[in-house]
Amino acid sequence: MPCPYAIADLMPRPLLRLRAHPLRIALVGNPNVGKSVIFGRLTGRYVTVSNYPGTTVAVTRGRATVGAEVCDIIDTPGVNALEGPLSEDEKVTRDLLQSGGAELVVQVADARNLRRALMLTSQLADFKLPMILVLNMIDEARARGVDVDAAGLAEQLGVPVIEAVAPEGRGLAELRNALATPARARAAREEGVPHLQWADESAARFRTVGQLTLGRFQEWLGRAVREPLTGLPILLVVLYATYLFVGVFGAQTLVGLLEQGLFGTYLNPWATAAASYIPFAAARDFFVGQYGLITMGLTYAIAIVLPVVTTFFFIFGFLEDSGYIPRLAIFSDRLFRAMGLNGKAVLPMVLGLGCDTMATMTTRILATPKERLIAIMLLALGVPCSAQLATIMGILGGISFAALVTLFGVVLFQIVLVGFLAAQVLPGERSEFIMELPPMRMPRLRNLLTKTLLRVRWYLGEAVPLFLIGTVLLFVLDRFGALGGLAAAAKPLVTGILGLPPKAAEVFVMGFLRRDYGAAGLFLMARDGALTHVQAVVALTVMTLFVPCVANFLMIVKERGLRIGLAILTVVTAIAVGTGALLNAALRFLHVAF
Amino acid sequence: MSPSDRLRPLSLLKPGTRGRIARVTRDLTHRAERLAAMGVSPGATVTVLQTFPGIVFECDQTELAVERLVARSILVEVL
Repeated sequence: MPCPYAIADLMPRPLLRLRAHPLRIALVGNPNVGKSVIFGRLTGRYVTVSNYPGTTVAVTRGRATVGAEVCDIIDTPGVNALEGPLSEDEKVTRDLLQSGGAELVVQVADARNLRRALMLTSQLADFKLPMILVLNMIDEARARGVDVDAAGLAEQLGVPVIEAVAPEGRGLAELRNALATPARARAAREEGVPHLQWADESAARFRTVGQLTLGRFQEWLGRAVREPLTGLPILLVVLYATYLFVGVFGAQTLVGLLEQGLFGTYLNPWATAAASYIPFAAARDFFVGQYGLITMGLTYAIAIVLPVVTTFFFIFGFLEDSGYIPRLAIFSDRLFRAMGLNGKAVLPMVLGLGCDTMATMTTRILATPKERLIAIMLLALGVPCSAQLATIMGILGGISFAALVTLFGVVLFQIVLVGFLAAQVLPGERSEFIMELPPMRMPRLRNLLTKTLLRVRWYLGEAVPLFLIGTVLLFVLDRFGALGGLAAAAKPLVTGILGLPPKAAEVFVMGFLRRDYGAAGLFLMARDGALTHVQAVVALTVMTLFVPCVANFLMIVKERGLRIGLAILTVVTAIAVGTGALLNAALRFLHVAF
Repeated sequence: MSPSDRLRPLSLLKPGTRGRIARVTRDLTHRAERLAAMGVSPGATVTVLQTFPGIVFECDQTELAVERLVARSILVEVL
């Protein structure tokens, strides 16, 4: 391969000149074509990569050195079009291009579908920015019998066209070289025809579709997961496997090892012994007391929640990368339609099981404001995040399967009911269900591990500090006797209507910070025998229906404004307490004991 | 058989049917534009993969799932 610097010396180099700011390069393309993989390859920065359209819903920036020049690489949300009706994440990309946020565009395309890519090329050309076209996934295209004449295409467009297999790094060196010689594309406008016609004709000229050589197994699996007869049993197996891995291995085996082993036998006794040298009782308690930073805060965060979050993130990443999750939209479309949404909403909803805050951002892939509002509210109301699932499985798994089914039954019923009512009450429309299904793929272990690790790190950085802050808050409230007062004030509600012990009031205070933190408190109460089985189910149901955490609330405010944020908070809290009261009354009336 | 006899909405086709899109009915919604952006436009070849619970078809190497209402507006010339 020739040295890139040598080429640069021979060719005119419009890139290398003094600038007020680094050259800004936007990666633009259809959804799920691999923009984020290329971003990672160019900048060395990892952004979440998955196998479904809409993984990236916000702009990410990173630095890269190309030749001698420092560039800002901008990863953008995928777009199907840049004109006409656009979803919110598509607008993010269009606005970036329109506002002059980039000097150079690298269009990343799925080589399998040249026609669609060229539709976008043609629209991109109208922004009159110099560009480069990357035909990614060229290996998968060939496997499907699709061959593209890249040289011919480059000649017609007048821009460099590069063939790439981004996850393997193929084509990246060529892309770096080409960044020196971008050009404005000649497309539909230059020929005076509509985008569609131009894309049709160009695709027909430069693409040949031959024999399919796709793997039998891949094809069979893709069919098996979407046909109801095989798909529904597969869904049950997937759920059961998740339960075994997260609920049994994570929440019982690993939590047992960490909580009773590491913390119970070593860390907490050591910390208590070390703290006995502190002369002030108050300071001692601050670290190792009932509301101690170590004995409560760290124990909750590390011993109870961390193992489950980690196992969950791993299996969740596997499902994300396999292309399985979008296929669930086919089964759930009808149900979601009754709730004012469509099957596409399965993505934010399932992502909510990982983290409701992130999922709230993902609602941008939904087409109308009404859909986004309903999805955000249902996420806040009923979808338990991984950390919350952890504690639910930890507590109810120890009681009975019936308890688990009761909780999820009630929560699911609430989601459907509230969704149905919201669909009737809220103004606006739902959009029609049109969704692209990504190919089924075997997840790459490397991406899976990186993703899991980053998410665990994110949990440690974001959730653990809140756990500690919450612990300090409880400690202070307890010191000043406010905790008792609070418990007394909440008594009619907590003990009267919900039928819980007074101490549960504290747990709800914690639940306002993060509901998994509150649930971790319930976990210990249940284990110490402070909760009956009925009380545990009622308390957990209320906690699950709470707004997930402070971060989630702030994200709702960021996405939809303070007024809607407060409205959702009020409605959700009222529903949570109301449902708990009804459930409590019903369980007692029916003498259910689990 | 005249060409118009072979023109049928995608919603009525059986799994395994192959055809070429002849027309996408336009209405006040932006359905046709949204479909076109995903590659579903006249001239594209389609293969119906599944019809229940939702309609799944392959169009130009892309697998798409749509609700019945949408499939009704895609007119296919069966091959």
